[in-house]
Formats: sequence, structure tokens, C-alpha cells
Amino acid sequence: MLSNVRTSIIRQVDYLTSGTQLHFIRTKRKKAGSDKSEVRKLVTQLSVLSANRKQPKLLKFSNEDYVKHQVIQKSWNLYVRDKKAEEANILQKQYESIRAANEDLQSVSKELFSFANTREPSKRFPLELRVPTEYPPNQIWHHDYTPKVEKKK
Amino acid sequence: MLEMGQSEIEHSITGYSPPFVEVFTMSVRNFASVAAGSELAGISSALLLSRIPLVTPDLHPFEAAYYNYQNELKRRLMWTFPKYYYFRKGTVAEREFVQAQKYPLFKRPGVWFPRGVPDLKHGRDRRFKEEVTLPKQQERADEDDELSKPVVFNSRVTAADEAGDLTSLERRLSRTLYLLIKTKGAWKFPSFPLVEPKPLHEAAEQGLREIGSVNMNTWTVSNTPTAVLKYSNGKLLDAETQEKEVEREYFIKSHIIGGDFQISSSDVEEFRWLTKEEVEQTVEPQYYGQLGHLLSTV
Repeated sequence: MLSNVRTSIIRQVDYLTSGTQLHFIRTKRKKAGSDKSEVRKLVTQLSVLSANRKQPKLLKFSNEDYVKHQVIQKSWNLYVRDKKAEEANILQKQYESIRAANEDLQSVSKELFSFANTREPSKRFPLELRVPTEYPPNQIWHHDYTPKVEKKK
Repeated sequence: MLEMGQSEIEHSITGYSPPFVEVFTMSVRNFASVAAGSELAGISSALLLSRIPLVTPDLHPFEAAYYNYQNELKRRLMWTFPKYYYFRKGTVAEREFVQAQKYPLFKRPGVWFPRGVPDLKHGRDRRFKEEVTLPKQQERADEDDELSKPVVFNSRVTAADEAGDLTSLERRLSRTLYLLIKTKGAWKFPSFPLVEPKPLHEAAEQGLREIGSVNMNTWTVSNTPTAVLKYSNGKLLDAETQEKEVEREYFIKSHIIGGDFQISSSDVEEFRWLTKEEVEQTVEPQYYGQLGHLLSTV
């Protein structure tokens, strides 16, 4: 690599009066890569481009390892399936619960039912709620909250 | 008056009946404007106040093991890091990077390799995963450099966890916590009788501020009730009950965003912030049986 760089000679000249000084002297420019053959250059470039040289070897599982891998995958699938089924079951129960509560409310009080089912188009998700992170923030909870005092117009 | 007072007491699942004088004062306080025949009599609005998780859920050991296995497989099948793409030859950065790497053994004739004959391409043994180590930033003792300082994370286990403080909002950061209060010796979610025809969620939020403190920021999830519990003479009935003369408790979901619950009513003896499993151990089994599905497992 260094041979490709244009070289300069640094000559030290001692001056009796002013101490040591550095002098840069230009030399004749060398052509980049002049010491390499064209074929070698091409081989280097191709080896950098070639996918084959960058790829790892294919996984070759022994029979035992393959069985292990299959067991892991199967048990994971079962785990996910059970988890999803449980979530779906809870959602179903929550839906039934909401439905029962609302039908009951309708039969008890028409007024409360209409209150409970008015649309809230201007309702927004509160920005103060944090998205869960891997580690807690420095101030975990804002204990000193005071409600805003509404200004009278 | 006496009848109305009793209907209030029937909200308690313990069936505790106080003496007459107490009944009278309670009826005045709670049912002041509700007539005996009104449709509002016997309706109360309960609040499921939750603190959502502040950190990501804890991994099940099986999940952690599976993610680790997949990660190792991914790294094993990754292409070799293209050093020549990121570091120009002959530069200081390249030199530092090369020096930081641990290069694998290379093949030699007449040498026995216990882990098999190396298959090196671009300085990586293609049979194994590649471990790229980044060169360390030069530590400068004289400069107070914020960027080069190692990052120290806060602990997921807080002081409240270690002290076992059940009233702290800073406990069990990876779980949803629910507010439980103890009234008349029984643990339950806060519940407030309806005194005037107003939306259930407003009644619940207002009641919460009366027993707790005004300095709480909450966000009601919906104005629609999420569940109903029916009581008869203070006893909790089954969900499929056909009884007509019952008291109803409608549940509204809400999140606490800021501030603390501080007891400001003599009715509340104690309060706790509990996870689903802890709620199950604290409240009556029948009560939990009808509400358990509303509580989050995360």
C-alpha cells in the first residue's frame, strides 16, 4: 500500500544558528499499483466482491443435533400456541363481560346506558404514559402531581 | 331512611352490619339525593385503577433460552464482516480495528486441530460464528468526556421491591399494578354509590379523588363499563343470577399517570398496589372469580 503513495523525502538540515528544521522535497511521481500485475489486481477485487468467500459454511447437523433442533422448534410452537389461545380466551371473556355489563345497564337505566355509550371523538391517548423500556428511568414515578387550575373566563 | 342505609351496606361482601346510628349517618352522606324508588338506588360505580408496566416484561426462562438459541444460529449463519468496506487500508482506524480482533488459528501442515481443520476466508473461520470486537475508545483521564463513559443502567428491581412496600407505585415495574382498598375489613376495588344521574366513569373518577387525593392524574380508558357485579343483601351473586332485587356494581377501567394515592377518607383503612396474582391472594375467591379475566397477566 505504501508503495502506491507518492513518496516524499524529509531531509534534516542542521543550521548552526536556528537549530533543526525539516525540509520537504518533491520526488518523481510513481504510478499507483505499478508494482502489481493486472491479474493480481483483478483477483483481489474479485475476492472482495465474491459472495462465496464471505458466506459461512452451511449448517450440517448430526442426527442427534437435528432431533434437538426439531424438539426446540416444536416446543416453541406449542408454547406460542398455548400463549395465544390463553390470550384469545381472556379477550373473549372480557368481551362477554362488557356485553353483559352493558345489557344489564340498559335494562336498569336508559340514561346511564346512553351516557356510557356516547362517542368521545376528542379523546386522545395521554402523552404522559411512558412506553415500557428495558430499564427504568432515573425518576421512576412523578409523585408530585398537582392538577391544573382551570382559569375562569 | 333505614332501608336506604341498608342498601349501601349491602355493597360490602362481608355482610357486616353496623349499628343503627351509623346506618343513619351513612345513608345521609351517600344517598342524600337518591329517592327510594329511583332507578339509581343500588347502583355503584367501581374503578379498576391500574399502573401500567414501566419496563418490558420479564422473560420466561424458556423464552430467554429460545431467543439465545436463535441469536446464536443467526450469528453462525451471518456473512463475514466486510472489514475492507468500512476501513480503508493503511489508515489508523484499520490498524486499530485489526489489532482489536482475535484471529482464529490457520491451517498448518502436520498439525492436529482438536476442533477440526480451520477453513479461513477473509480472516474468519467459516465453520463458526464470527466475533467482531470494536477497538476501545481511548480513555482520556484529563478530559471529562460524557460520550466515552460506560453506560450504567438503572436496576429493574427498585428500593420498594426490596423493602416489600405494597403501597408504592415504584414496585414490580414489569407488571401492571391495581389499586385495592380495605373498607370494613374487606379488600376490594374502590367502589362508589351513584348519588345523581351522571356518567359512571365520572362518578368513579370523582369518588377516587374523594377517598384518595386530588393530586392524582388518571386517564379513563372508556366510559363504557367493563363488568358488572350483582349483590343481594351484601352477598355477591353469581354472574348468571336471575334475581330482580339486586345491587349493581359497574366497573370502569382507568390508568394512573402521575401522583400518588393518599388516604383522605376515614372509610378507607388501607390500600395496596398489587399485581394480578397478589390480588387473587388478597380478595375473596368468589370476587376474584368474576373479575380475574379483567386483570392483566403482564
